[in-house]
Order: sequence, then C-alpha cells, then structure tokens
Amino acid sequence: MRDLRKTFGGVRAVDGCSFSVPAGKISGLIGPNGSGKTTTFDLLTGLTRPDGGRVLYRGNDLAGLKPHQIFRKGITRTFQITRIFREMTVLENMLSVTGLGVPDHVARERAHELIAFVNLTHLRAEYGGRLSYGQQKLLEFARALMTDPDLILLDEPAAGVNRTLLQHLLAQIHRLQESGKTVLIVEHDMNVIMNHCERIFVLDYGVKIAEGPPAEIRHDERVLDAYFGRRRR
Amino acid sequence: MTRGEHLRNLALLVVCALVLALLPRGLSLYYRSFLMFTMMYVVLALSWNIISGFTGYTSFGHVAFYGIGAYACAILVADHRWHWLPTLAVGAGIAALVGVALGYPVLRLKGPYFAIAMLGAAEGTRVIATVWDGLTHGGLGISLPSAETSVETYYAMLVLMVVTIAVAYAVGHSRFGVRLNAIREDETAAAALGIDTTVYKLAAFVLSAIFPAVAGGIQTYKVLYIDPPSVFFVQITIAMALMSMLGGKGTVIGPIVGALVLYTAQELTWVNFPTAHLIAYGLFIVLVARFMPRGLVGLAIDQGWIRKGMLH
Repeated sequence: MRDLRKTFGGVRAVDGCSFSVPAGKISGLIGPNGSGKTTTFDLLTGLTRPDGGRVLYRGNDLAGLKPHQIFRKGITRTFQITRIFREMTVLENMLSVTGLGVPDHVARERAHELIAFVNLTHLRAEYGGRLSYGQQKLLEFARALMTDPDLILLDEPAAGVNRTLLQHLLAQIHRLQESGKTVLIVEHDMNVIMNHCERIFVLDYGVKIAEGPPAEIRHDERVLDAYFGRRRR
Repeated sequence: MTRGEHLRNLALLVVCALVLALLPRGLSLYYRSFLMFTMMYVVLALSWNIISGFTGYTSFGHVAFYGIGAYACAILVADHRWHWLPTLAVGAGIAALVGVALGYPVLRLKGPYFAIAMLGAAEGTRVIATVWDGLTHGGLGISLPSAETSVETYYAMLVLMVVTIAVAYAVGHSRFGVRLNAIREDETAAAALGIDTTVYKLAAFVLSAIFPAVAGGIQTYKVLYIDPPSVFFVQITIAMALMSMLGGKGTVIGPIVGALVLYTAQELTWVNFPTAHLIAYGLFIVLVARFMPRGLVGLAIDQGWIRKGMLH
C-alpha cells in the first residue's frame, strides 16, 4: 500500500502510510492502541474508503472497491471482535461465503474439511453464538479460508484464545504459509508476533515508524519510545 | 437436510394440496371463503418472511404490494375488459418493478429506519390510489362485473400458496438463503465474505413483493369491489408480521403455522368480540415479542424437537 490516508473527524487515523507485505510470508502489524492497525485492515478490505493513497495488489489498485469485490480478488480477513453469524449453525456460517463458483456438494465438502481443520466437527450443528469465544475465533478463521484466499488478514487472532487453542491456531497459520499463502497479523501478544512473523511493521499515530525482522524491531529505539514513552538518556 | 427429508416434505405438500383441491365441492361458501383467506395469509406471511425473517429487514409496509396487485386486477378487468388471470402477472410485474425502485434506496436504511420508511411507502401508495382519479377512480373505488367467482379464485389461491411455499422452501434451504441470513446477522461481515449485499437484499425484497401482489389480485376478483382503505389496510401488514413472529420468523414452517393459528383464532373470536379481538391482537404482539421472540418453531428448537439451522 502506498501513502494511504484516512481521517475520522479531525483524527488522522492512518496518515500517509506505505508498506509492502511480502508474498508467501507471515508478517506482523503492531503498534500501541489507537495507532491505526484495524483502520488499516478496514482500508485494505474496503470496509472504509480511503481519503487518499493506493492499495496495490498484484498490480491492481483496490482503493475504493467494495468489500465483496476485494474479497473476490482473494483477500479475506477476520475481525478483532469476532463477527461470526450468531443465529446460524457452524456449517451455515461456512456455507454463507460466496465466490466459490462450485456446486453445493463441493462447498459442503470443503466446509466439513475446514471445520475439522479447526477441531469444531462436534459443534457443526450448533449455533455460532453458543460457541466459546476461542471457538468463535477458530470458526471465523476457518470461514475466512472457505474460498482458498491468497492473502489472509488476521486481526488479533490470539486475543481471548487459550494457550492450547492458540498453539493449534498458530500451527494452522504456518501450514497456510507453507502452502504459499500470505498472512498479515495484527496482534498485541508480542510472543506471537516475535516468534512467528518474518517481517514486522510498526504503526504509531497512523504513521509507519519502523519496519524489519523481529530481531531488529525488538531493539528499535522509535518502537520502544512508542510503546513505553521516551526514556531518559 | 438429506434428500430423503426433502422428498418427504415435498410429498407432504402434494398431499395437502390434493386435499385442499378436493375440499371446496362439499363445503359451504363460508368455509370455502375461510380456507381461501387462510391460504392467502400463508402466502402473505411467507412472503414477508423472505425479506424480514430471512434477511432481517422488518417491513411495515408490505401491504403496498398487495394493494398494487389488487389495483392492477381491478383496473384491467373493470376498465379494460381483460380476463382476470393475466392481470395477476401484470400485478406481479408492477410489484417487482416498484420493489426494485423502492428497495434500492430504502434497503440502505437499517432496523427501525427501514421499518418506518416502508410504513411511509405503504401510506404513499394508498394516497396515490386515492388521488389518481383518472386511473383508480379515487375514493369511489372500483366495482368489477359481478359474477360467481369463489371457486376459480379458491383454486388460484391454492396454486399461489403451493408455489409460494415451494419458493420459500427452496430459498430457505439454499446457499442463497443462508447468505440472506448472514446479512441479517451481520451485514458488514457478510460483505467482507464476498456477499454483494445490495444485490442479495434487492433480490429478497423483489421476491417478497411478487406473491402478495398476486394474492391481492386474486382476492380482488373474489370480492369484486376495492377502494384504497380496504386494500392498503395497515392491519394486513401487521398480520403478516405477527403470523411470522408467532410461528417463528426466519424459518419456512413458522409463518405457515403462524398464519393457520392466528387466522383461525381471529375468525373464532371476532364474531363474538368484534372490537375486543383487536385489543387481544395488540396484547398478543407484546406477549410474543417478550416471551417467545423466536416463535413456536424457536421454542421447538430449544426443546430439541427440531434441529437448528436450515442446512445440515
């Protein structure tokens, strides 16, 4: 994305931000609360329209496209606070996804595979709203994979998920990456970011303040300042 | 749901249709008329349920489409000497066009704003029918050439009901229907999952507009006189909503059950309590919304008698 901008009222939520997500890798997007991470995701997926700048994906500009159009280019996401369909069963949640272009029984087969992939088979006929929060996160993750997307944006996948489930989820994310997918993760859990991402982008007040591999970011002065305030020298 | 269950449900529908087809010969005019009204309310409740139950856009103005169908039939038969059957198709076509023209702006509104906009739209159609003298004869209403029409209209309503049930069933058990549910549950998430919400909502809205228009046309040819207050009658919308809610909106069987129960109850009470039944109606809305928000079917699901969801 190049020079992306979005203003809400007088707040410059994302202010001329540019970065390139490396294809086929797991990357992380971090920053203090309110630094513009989720807004960046919303801009990338068309949920909010940018005020300026471009989102380049495989040579096409996605800025200004509607969410369903961007989705059909092979980009899916999950949400910080899960947005599963509460009064629909787990299976129905999966089958609601469009753009598969496959007959019913193929879609069902894929849904069952993915439900098994996130260990929810025993709950497939249960309402989404009856699942635990961690299970909802898994369902949302599985749902995002229905169309076999190329770029997957995960907004705080670790929040509210217990350690065992989280290890399982991270293993699945690595399996996706090994099969050639690109993953971008927003996350506050630094263990997840530092141990699983190859490249990290740091936002503060809507501006990119650093970019690099975990080892560099860990010791970057500007990042430490943003998170902990300016230290005395 | 398995193929076997679909076949069983289809067989059930065919049997019911056959029984209803054989009945009117032996029935008095009153009972024939009672059955016809019941079938009409099944059509109306199921149609309302497509946009309001499946898709979550609660419409308080669906009577507009009923009235459009009624006027299409009355005008063409009385003033242009058409046979009544093709007028039903014209009514359905006009309702579909109005559905697109009205739905495109109004479906951008959510929740109570959509409901109120539809209430206003229905009032608008009533006012248009009242003031457009040249076309509708205004407040005088339209009388159709008198004839004995109760048998043919009974069969027309039966066919319409079977078609409506079949369509509602097919929608409810398809991925199209599940996507309408997704829009109801969380429209933003639905869009982020590739659903073109504008197109889906419009399709549901048009589908839910067509059948009430045909019902309005058939009903007009039965009673042979209409005027604006009788066909753009707000209580018809309320009945659609209440029947769906009582039975269980968002399901296929719910609105059918709701229409059967409520229309029968209404018919039994109004003879003895001509005004009290309206009070009972109001009280009923409150009680259903408070204690049984998901209707009789929701209750059956909670008890474990019916499986959750439409796709299995």
